[in-house]
Amino acid sequence: MLLEASHLNIAYGDAPAVWDVSLDVDEGEIVSVIGPNGAGKTTLINALAGLLRPRGGALGIAGTDLMSVASHDFCRHGIALVPESRRLFAAMSVEENLDIGGYRSAARRHRNESLEQVYALFPALRERRRQIAGLLSGGQQQMVAIGRALMARPRLLLLDEPSLGLAPAVVNDVFAAIGRIHRGGVAILLVEQNVPKALEIANRAYVLEQGRIVASGAPEPLLARAEIREAYLGFAN
Amino acid sequence: MPSVTLLGQAVIAGVLIGGLYGLLAAGLSLSWGLLKYINVSYFALAFLSAYLTYQFGTFNGIAPWWSAVILVPAFFLLGVLQHWTFMRLRVTELTSLVVTFGLAVLIESLIQWIWTADFRKYESGFSGLTSKIGPFFVPTLDFLALVSATILAIATWSWLRWTYVGKALRAAAMDPEMASAFGIDHRRLSFLLSGICSAYAAVAGIFIALIATLAPSEIGTWIGVAFAVVIIGGVGNPLGALLAGILIGFAESVTMAVTQPAWAPLVSFTILIVLLLWKPRWT
Repeated sequence: MLLEASHLNIAYGDAPAVWDVSLDVDEGEIVSVIGPNGAGKTTLINALAGLLRPRGGALGIAGTDLMSVASHDFCRHGIALVPESRRLFAAMSVEENLDIGGYRSAARRHRNESLEQVYALFPALRERRRQIAGLLSGGQQQMVAIGRALMARPRLLLLDEPSLGLAPAVVNDVFAAIGRIHRGGVAILLVEQNVPKALEIANRAYVLEQGRIVASGAPEPLLARAEIREAYLGFAN
Repeated sequence: MPSVTLLGQAVIAGVLIGGLYGLLAAGLSLSWGLLKYINVSYFALAFLSAYLTYQFGTFNGIAPWWSAVILVPAFFLLGVLQHWTFMRLRVTELTSLVVTFGLAVLIESLIQWIWTADFRKYESGFSGLTSKIGPFFVPTLDFLALVSATILAIATWSWLRWTYVGKALRAAAMDPEMASAFGIDHRRLSFLLSGICSAYAAVAGIFIALIATLAPSEIGTWIGVAFAVVIIGGVGNPLGALLAGILIGFAESVTMAVTQPAWAPLVSFTILIVLLLWKPRWT
């Protein structure tokens, strides 16, 4: 297993948000986590990225225990995050944002190679590399956010709601890019409200409701269950 | 209306004093923009550095450039120590203004206790040096201050603009959590930056000792101008601080020549208010 999380408990102050969540992602997999608003999806993915520290449970990547690793060292272990609502360094240029993604010393050595890969994936960014990131369109900002994470040369890419606020055509572009990144050998954990898209691309999926995993497995058997179709696709049969 | 020579002389004097304003404002600008500490103790630290330069030069026979060799690294360490203390005390952006103001008062009292409230003038032996360009006199020390300020401002600006550490500092100021997600250890970098801000105060102090007359009460008169310089130049922008310093120095000096010296203190805040109302793109 690449990423292994078991019995994670995550809380904000005294308010628990995620209970007893176990989840894993293997090399070469795309795993989706679906669930309604407020289920704890962002909380979970932020904990996997090291931004939030779990209260209990175990978290590891490729045999390394991450529970005692400093937040700023998670990326050294091959984890990169595309956060909810992108969170670009808005006043910096596109290329400066990408350079922050490739800040860790192992990534710096491959800077030019990584930049070429990102520009090949998103040609629109090459033309706009000197523009201020905060002034780009939503779709282009999402490309920068994904490109920034790729610059860290991750083994596991964490994507939090990459389709949020984007036009349907742009959503298709973003998911096509995710597919290409996956074929390039990067494992992907995807948190999405766009359930059809999330299940279409995934090898496996987890359903998170009210802070707990309530179902998991391959997309087809999940979709075969009437209660899941009803809750997430809006029809039962 | 004064003569053209007098006006030209005023322009030169104003632009040159702008270098000193830029040096003095750089620490506050960087710390406010990138550390989120509104640190007014740098003005008192600059005067501490000025008094030490005076002390070393007058009583220990140490030339000002040797004072620089001692004071710049010493103040760098002082800045690191100060930052460590602020982090231990969990000082925030808002409380930093109060805490550092208190610190400034403390340093001012310390200066007054050691060197008394009397005016002091460092007779370095260079204060009379001037070069003559056409009909104008250029005081050598003021010119050196402007040159140093320019070199330091360009170096700091380039460092923030082009290096990984500089980009990391700017990114962490915008979103420390995301910066940390990409491996930026903001704590470690902030010590470095805090040291640099304090080292700027040391350099400013050395030139204050060489150019101005020292009295503990003078600290307050520089704070107002420096705040205006920081805001006009753009918080966190060392090159902007220098240009704003030159602008204000120029405007003050011309105002003094055309009207009366008493009007000069009005100038910096008038410029500040006009620019805040007009809001040009660079602020």
